[in-house]
Amino acid sequence: MLEIKNLQVSINNKSILKGLNLSIKPGELHAIMGPNGSGKSTLANVLSGKGGYKISGKLNFEGKDLKEITIEERAKKGIFLAFQYPLEIPGVNTNIFLKTSLNSIRKARGEKEMDTLSFLKLLKEKSSELGIDENFLSRQLNVGFSGGEKKKNEILQMKILDPNFSILDETDSGLDIDALKVIANGVNSSRNKKKSFLVITHYQRLLNYIKPDFVHVLSDGKIVKSGCSELAEELEKTGYKKTN
Amino acid sequence: MHNFEINSSEIDKIEKISEKEKNFRIKNLEFFNTNGFPSKKLEDWKFSDFRDIVYKNFDQLDTKNTLADIKKINLLKDFDHNYILLVNGNLQSSNFDYEDKSKIRINSYKKDNINYETSQNPLVCLNNALAKEGYSLEIEKNYRLKKVVIIYNFFTKDLKNKILNKKNKITIKENSEIHIIDYTVNESKFKFINNICENVILEKNSKFKHIFIQDNRSNGYFYKFSKNKLLSNSNYTSFIFSSGLKFNKLDIECDLEGKNSECNVQSALFLNTNDHQEIKTRINHLAENCKSYQKVKSVLSSDSKGVYQGKIYVKNIAQKTNAYQLSQALLLSSDSEFDSKPELEIYADNVKCSHGSTSGSLDEDSLYYLMTRGLNRKESTKLLIKGFLDDVVQIIKSASIKKFIQDKLAKQIYGH
Ligand SMILES: Nc1ncnc2c1ncn2[C@@H]1O[C@H](COP(=O)(O)OP(=O)(O)OP(=O)(O)O)[C@@H](O)[C@H]1O
Ligand SMILES: [Mg+2]
Repeated sequence: MLEIKNLQVSINNKSILKGLNLSIKPGELHAIMGPNGSGKSTLANVLSGKGGYKISGKLNFEGKDLKEITIEERAKKGIFLAFQYPLEIPGVNTNIFLKTSLNSIRKARGEKEMDTLSFLKLLKEKSSELGIDENFLSRQLNVGFSGGEKKKNEILQMKILDPNFSILDETDSGLDIDALKVIANGVNSSRNKKKSFLVITHYQRLLNYIKPDFVHVLSDGKIVKSGCSELAEELEKTGYKKTN
Repeated sequence: MHNFEINSSEIDKIEKISEKEKNFRIKNLEFFNTNGFPSKKLEDWKFSDFRDIVYKNFDQLDTKNTLADIKKINLLKDFDHNYILLVNGNLQSSNFDYEDKSKIRINSYKKDNINYETSQNPLVCLNNALAKEGYSLEIEKNYRLKKVVIIYNFFTKDLKNKILNKKNKITIKENSEIHIIDYTVNESKFKFINNICENVILEKNSKFKHIFIQDNRSNGYFYKFSKNKLLSNSNYTSFIFSSGLKFNKLDIECDLEGKNSECNVQSALFLNTNDHQEIKTRINHLAENCKSYQKVKSVLSSDSKGVYQGKIYVKNIAQKTNAYQLSQALLLSSDSEFDSKPELEIYADNVKCSHGSTSGSLDEDSLYYLMTRGLNRKESTKLLIKGFLDDVVQIIKSASIKKFIQDKLAKQIYGH
């Protein structure tokens, strides 16, 4: 599904990713851990198409060169990023935004646009699954949401848009223990043999609830260690120092 | 060379006019003829060189009244309303079927539409000299209109190289309330100037809500001087959504003369390519315990220009004044321009007064966020613009009027 080879990324002449290799197959869930500033969010941004980076290396998604396609085309191909810091968009109603977003993606998939009634039904179902109060959805997108509420809203968007490949950038940070479980359930119920995930986290705790197939350590722009879920437990005890 | 001097015989043609009125008109005409159209040398016009604009766009200007009758007008169906129909600034008809008609007086221009104030503003002087049409609206004491009043400002196809000078007057007597939507429908494809002076008097405990909006884009050059007098406990609110003109300057002056009076001016504007729009407010706090609030939000496309000049004046006796002013501009292109000039002149010591002005381009990170959800750059941009302007629209209480305004704004932004 995703094939990254010798990925080099720099911004403003600062080199951030320095030859990263990663391969994710359909149905797999990969976790990435690593110290602050090691380039995890940069990787997520490069995958979802943010501008401003100088990029070289191989970056293929379902056989297509990602470097060639725009942000919204990637979204339409099924790449989704749950932001580490979701943005507040004043004056844009969450509900209406979600419907617009879903319909533009459905259109690209060749599906029929969803009418308001069926959309609201879907929204109700997914938001109650995540314990999101419906009142939130009539508010402006993320404006005044608490940190945890913003993260939940990201996962709600993921559930509604139903992408093939989801990147979760520290979605667990700042969540209380109940919210963490809810979000983990949300992810787990979406897992199947076609859908893949890249979960960026600092805490092994999350991986107790979401079992990864692989765990990688990203340090100074490279993946320095890969293993199965036990690697996360090991890191929790020893920290990153020994992996270098 | 252009010569826009106006012959004093124009005044001689005005019938049944007192010596006082005639002298007033002549004095004003002399001022205009000496000074000409306002240029950027005047502080109040420093960002909008109207003379230059007139010279570039007109070779001649005709001051004669353009009478025309509209057989049928398509009334808005979005909400129930009373209406006043103005055709080229002349009162044609009105309908107050929703109201107790004994409480409302609507007439064409009356002698007391003139307020005999001297002005240094050449356009106001020109209007003082020549205006002899317009309307006068009076609401009797203790009457709240049940429905909003739409003033259909209709301009006919044949208007070309004209300058219209009209004077309107609105009086709201004690304890009364009226909501007006000034709705401009311009059928002329040609260039013309519309120069309006409007006097609004809000008596004790009265309320006046005013919305300015355009139906369509047009080649009009509009100037409106609106002078509002607020007596105690009165409340003036004005929403400005009118854009889409080649030139549009709204010059709003509010005299807070009575204690506890409040004035509130808010605007949400989307300026398309080549539009030029200026809002000028002058709020005079002349009595204790009054509030004023101005919020001007502008989005500027390429080659458009927006100006906000806002002055707050607080007289020494106007203690416990609360004044707030904010201007925010979103520039979509490097060749759009927004100028803002806040000015405070405060002579009282117990005053709460704040102002701020920001301008910037669209936030790239917000665009990125929206685009990761499958919207393209254009759609994301439009969504952000709409969101930027939305907080002003949200203040409108009536759901149907709010929807109407949102649709109009969307039409301006999305261009269909
Ligand atoms: N626009 C930029 N200009 C210069 N340096 C940048 C820019 N954006 C990111 N960086 C740098 O790139 C490095 C990697 O940042 P990134 O956000 O990818 O780290 P991270 O692994 O996600 O960290 P954290 O765990 O704190 O979220 C950091 O040193 C950061 O300061
Ligand atoms: Mg990060």
